[in-house]
Amino acid sequence: MLLFNPIVCIELTCLAVAVVFLIKDKTLFWRLALCYQILVFTVELAGSYMGGLGIHNLWLYNIFIFFEASFIFYGIHHCLKIYTKQKTALIFGLILTCIIYFSSFIIRGFLVYNSITISVMSVIFVIFTLYYYYLLLKDSSFIDIRTNPEFWWIAGVLFYYFGSTISNIFYDVLTINIFGHMSLTYLIFVILCFILYGLWTYSYICRAKQRKLQS
Amino acid sequence: MPIFLMMYIRSYNRHKKNHILEKENMRREFESEMLQTRIEVQEKTMQTIATELHDNVGQLLSLTTLTLNSVNLNNSEKAAQKIENSLSLVNKSIKELRELAKLLHGEQIVETGIGNAIQQEINWLEKTGTFELSVSNQLFDLKETSPDKDLIILRLLQEIINNIIKHANATIISLNFYHDNHILHLSVKENGVGFNYERIKAKKSGMGLNSISKRIEMINGKLILNSAPNNGTNILIEIPYP
Repeated sequence: MLLFNPIVCIELTCLAVAVVFLIKDKTLFWRLALCYQILVFTVELAGSYMGGLGIHNLWLYNIFIFFEASFIFYGIHHCLKIYTKQKTALIFGLILTCIIYFSSFIIRGFLVYNSITISVMSVIFVIFTLYYYYLLLKDSSFIDIRTNPEFWWIAGVLFYYFGSTISNIFYDVLTINIFGHMSLTYLIFVILCFILYGLWTYSYICRAKQRKLQS
Repeated sequence: MPIFLMMYIRSYNRHKKNHILEKENMRREFESEMLQTRIEVQEKTMQTIATELHDNVGQLLSLTTLTLNSVNLNNSEKAAQKIENSLSLVNKSIKELRELAKLLHGEQIVETGIGNAIQQEINWLEKTGTFELSVSNQLFDLKETSPDKDLIILRLLQEIINNIIKHANATIISLNFYHDNHILHLSVKENGVGFNYERIKAKKSGMGLNSISKRIEMINGKLILNSAPNNGTNILIEIPYP
């Protein structure tokens, strides 16, 4: 049983960095980010363990989707509020995701992976991240991109969910086995996880630097 | 796509940063130039005051002392005459000192409006009695003000007048100031020795012309200068105002 698969390892590394750099952070978003990293790692570890034992684990990931969507929506709100006070579109996106999430359970049941919600929320997240960058470009002041935690956090979201959306669109083409039993979609997923948690790790480091400068 | 987006954002942000830094530098340069102008105006005022004190008030008071010293109390009729003359000289001195006190206000001259500030300069020029002046100042009733520009304009005029006094050997000066269609027009024409403007401009030397051009450029103004040796000089300045 391979408990520590590549994704778990990536998430563990990101969690370790989050613990080191965000533990003293008093901002709600960054505190939530730390909690989310713990949740992600726990779910992934449990899912991996259950999968290894041949126990059905999709219900676990289905529950996790709710927390994932909530956290990412809050994160986008946290980043967008620097440039705009407009919340309507974000609330609309959240409501739409919730409707799809719960109606999918009613229609397809709890034990079927909620892929429709994942696809829809991925598109919504990509749109909002692009909107964030549009506002950033439009803003009259400039930010130091290299050390801006929000910029890199959003970049992680954009890369991951844009990649997921493309991967979902071409799912049929990409489900081919490479390196023995490893499918191409799995490899893409590992790469996307690496990019997401890599960028988030960097954003946590930037945040710690920012906090140090502000104190 | 996200990679290209990141690259574009990075490049755009760098341009934005450069633009903001450039703007900041320009603002600093403007502020430094304003400070320099303020100092120059103050220096010019101090010079004028020193000259006036020495050449005018000083002379009047010396003459008063001489007159009072020569008073013979035995000759009451002549003494009364001399005392009266002394009194007149003292009154004249008081008047001159009042004029100087006005000058000491420095920047407050500009606060009363650019028309008044220019008129003050013309009055001093008139007092020298060296030039035949033809003046048309239509800036007294100007409703709009721009204190920073006013100070620069005043300094420009001071510099131009200074150049005429020092270098031009002119006898007639024609000054024309008016505001039309958000543009302030300053025209100074004299019949002095003139000079080759292009050559001086190329050499970047002499007569404070570079400083005049730079300051006009700083407030988005335009300088038209026509001059030729032995043919006088005609300076026309157009400044967006306020």
